[in-house]
Amino acid sequence: MEILVLVKAVPDPEARLRPNAAGTAPDLDGVKWVLAGYDESAVEQALLLREAVPDSHVRALAVGPAPRTEEVLRAALALGCDGATWVEPPADLAIDPLLAARALAAAGRRSPFQLVLVGKQAMDDEAGLVGPAVAEHLAVPDFGPVVDLRWDAAGGRFRFARAVEGGLERLEAPPPIVVALQQAWNDPRTAKLQNVLRSRRAPIEKVPWPEVAAALGDRRARSVRTAFRLPPPRSGAKMIEYSTPEEAAQKLVRALREEARTFP
Amino acid sequence: MVDFALTDEQRSLQELARKFARTEMLPQAAACDKAGRFPEEIYRKGFELGLMNLNVPTEYGGSGLSVFDQCLIVEELARACGGMTTSIIANCLALEPILLGGTEEQRRRLLPPFCASYHLASFCLTEPGGGSDAGGLQTRATKDGDGYVVDGEKCFITNGPHASLYTVFATVDPTLRHRGITAFAIPRDSEGVVPGKDEEKMGHRASSTGTIRFEKVRVPADQRLGPEGEGFGLAMRTLDHTRTPIGALATGIAQAAIDYAAAYALKRHSFGKPIAEHQAIQLKLANMAQSIEAARLLTWRAASLIDGGQRGTLESSIAKCFASDAAMRVADEAVQIFGGYGYMRDYPVEKLLRDAKLTQIYEGANEIQRLVIARELLTRYA
Amino acid sequence: MSGGALVLGEVRGGRLARASAEAVTVARRLVGPAGSGTVTGLVLAGAPAAAASELARTGVDRVLAVSDPTFDAFHASRTAAVAAAVATERSAAHVVVGGTAAGRELVGRLAARWDAAAVTGVVDLVPDGDRGFRAVRTVFSGRAFEEVRLEGPRAVWGTHPLAFAAPPPGPEAPVEARAISGGPSPVPGTAVGFEAASNASGPDLAEATVVVSGGRGLRAPENFHLVEELAGALGGAVGASRAVTDAGWRPTSYQVGQTGRTVTPQLYVAVGISGAIQHLVGMVGSRTIVAINSDPNAPIFKVADYGVVGDLFQIVPALTAEVRKVRGA
Repeated sequence: MEILVLVKAVPDPEARLRPNAAGTAPDLDGVKWVLAGYDESAVEQALLLREAVPDSHVRALAVGPAPRTEEVLRAALALGCDGATWVEPPADLAIDPLLAARALAAAGRRSPFQLVLVGKQAMDDEAGLVGPAVAEHLAVPDFGPVVDLRWDAAGGRFRFARAVEGGLERLEAPPPIVVALQQAWNDPRTAKLQNVLRSRRAPIEKVPWPEVAAALGDRRARSVRTAFRLPPPRSGAKMIEYSTPEEAAQKLVRALREEARTFP
Repeated sequence: MVDFALTDEQRSLQELARKFARTEMLPQAAACDKAGRFPEEIYRKGFELGLMNLNVPTEYGGSGLSVFDQCLIVEELARACGGMTTSIIANCLALEPILLGGTEEQRRRLLPPFCASYHLASFCLTEPGGGSDAGGLQTRATKDGDGYVVDGEKCFITNGPHASLYTVFATVDPTLRHRGITAFAIPRDSEGVVPGKDEEKMGHRASSTGTIRFEKVRVPADQRLGPEGEGFGLAMRTLDHTRTPIGALATGIAQAAIDYAAAYALKRHSFGKPIAEHQAIQLKLANMAQSIEAARLLTWRAASLIDGGQRGTLESSIAKCFASDAAMRVADEAVQIFGGYGYMRDYPVEKLLRDAKLTQIYEGANEIQRLVIARELLTRYA
Repeated sequence: MSGGALVLGEVRGGRLARASAEAVTVARRLVGPAGSGTVTGLVLAGAPAAAASELARTGVDRVLAVSDPTFDAFHASRTAAVAAAVATERSAAHVVVGGTAAGRELVGRLAARWDAAAVTGVVDLVPDGDRGFRAVRTVFSGRAFEEVRLEGPRAVWGTHPLAFAAPPPGPEAPVEARAISGGPSPVPGTAVGFEAASNASGPDLAEATVVVSGGRGLRAPENFHLVEELAGALGGAVGASRAVTDAGWRPTSYQVGQTGRTVTPQLYVAVGISGAIQHLVGMVGSRTIVAINSDPNAPIFKVADYGVVGDLFQIVPALTAEVRKVRGA
């Protein structure tokens, strides 16, 4: 089985977040870029499938600028992906999720695949647009947010569940499909030292830009961030003073009804 | 042109170690310190990732890293917990005599099991009668048929109570002093090996340290590492390779201390402003930063000399001695910056002070390091 | 941008999903004051009548109802194809999709199909001069807000659940039955079952106005009922910290946090949760946060609005009793 995993470099989710001076974007100066969250889960899922299905290959695919995009592709290789493909847009071209999806689809189309895995959303912009849009461009069905993805070799179908309101919808579908993964379904592995060293020397395939440019046509990014700000800081909890549990309960409910006005 | 920049490969090794340190070690560091618990589950995870047998060449299944790359990893681990780091890198010290003194047959027989699955090994040199005076050790190796009988007691043995193999230094003839010392690889399950109790230590409490008694242990000749009487030189060459990473370990403790102290200084207010705005605190932080930078660079230089094939005795002694003294000073100042809170167990810096202390003592006390430095120095003028 | 808007009416259990009514609120603002642009509703289902009629009373100008049983299972590709065709036919400038699992999946697919700009998770609209509106949305797990301008003649807007009020029911707009040319199209996947989440008795975490979460402080799984009873009294959903789901006390679907679900209820009650950053990023967007914990230094108190330091085994039952008394239940 040929599996493509779409990955993206995001700012370290544990790092401090602050707006730039103009208040139009996060201040990314000196930030560490990582493969994180849903994308890590997607890579893990791909590797689990490869371990379960003989003669499978996992290729990580990313669009984005150097050096961070190359770094997350190497991180994916270190985790165990067999190959990596990189679409590097010209430095002056702004990329939004839908443009990224067209570029990724153009790269993905270059070789046959049975499964495209993607995180339900990236941990930074949380748009969740890329997976479904890639599926549309590749003219294959997409499903999300998915947990518990398995390959039914006898039936020649994927079996999985969508995490929807109120429960899990069990589905099956033949390849090829695009699957957007819910996080926290699996426990992503950590790269081993030897694999980290190997990943540094592994080749990364670069897609010639003109191929991608043809798929984009004259389209440019259509979503433009005009402001970026942090929520007002919380000043710390107002502590309820009490002598009995009943008094604590009464004071808390009163505060929620009369001050916060969020008592249901 | 000297280039201090790390390669991409080195930065990813550092990143791997940092991630392991932050996600696996740090969350348990305070609790293990309080309880004196040996967190074997963390060491197993470290082994799985390849962080344990850093110096063992890949042909035997190890990580095969240069001393420089070992130092990068050790510093990152030690930022989370010096004690755990000591236990994680103890295999490097214990297996180094096999790498340096063993025959190819011995290396192929003894090393791969440590790389294939989680096993600990311990380096057994120090004795109750003396640590620094290694030439005067009392453990006897008596020739017996085609093998030896080893008899004696070793103390302060890192991971001793948990190890499955001991590299033991014993003398075939105490009157020969240094020239009688011979090295052996002794499996724990040999009859007469009696691991003692875990010591209660001031710091490095997540590490395990204990006494190992060898009561008339029969050791076949094929477990002898190197020729009879060459054990002292083997121990010294081993320490030449492992001393520099101790400099990195001390640097990591110092780095943790300044990380905590600087963050605290920005948060803590006195006289109406963050204490970081008081010059008294700034001068301390500046001195701490200088010590750490110097310690790191000395460590890096010693490591690159050794990787370049030099013995590096002078440089590695300088690095270990300077970095451990720096760690002690920096941890001390970190406690001072935290003030009363710094003295409290609920805050992380007093542990660093206790952990730093050991780096001045083990792997060659700093007094010995200074003697070595002076001797190496003076030979250049003689 | 001006021009009309299309709102997708999602059908759940035969009824209109609340998120779809919330989407109408957004559509009405996008098309401008009454008379300047029309809002069309679109319902795709085997039996769309009831949901179409509900949608028709939310203030839309008309509803198109497509009866096709294959739409009873959601398939983004087919829904996107029909929605894009209808939007083009009606010369719509906007399509608005409610913040459900299906809605999230639809936005990107539809935007690609319709060659439009798109934004998801919209929590507010701010006027943007003669360009219409900018979308306000949360990013970085609720740790920041951004404003986004959509350029070009077509835009797809996905709303965040509960961010906009659903319009009160009004007079019913005309409902027009439509057929898809060519009849039912093949479906790409087969639904083979549904497992209701074990916390399905209350509202879903993502849609709940109140969430009560339990953490390690509960000490044992058999104590989790304290959290469930409080959530029941408040009419809220039950969540859990990672410590609890990792320990297997509750399934992963309960987990609130960076590796679980992000919730933004009106009221969030953290019971016996210390407040690791992992958990905090999943709930800091909540309007009011209450923390009950025995450790006065627990980080949860830094993000909470109200804190109670004490034994949760005493505080929580007292609170449940008080809530029942006040809510008359």
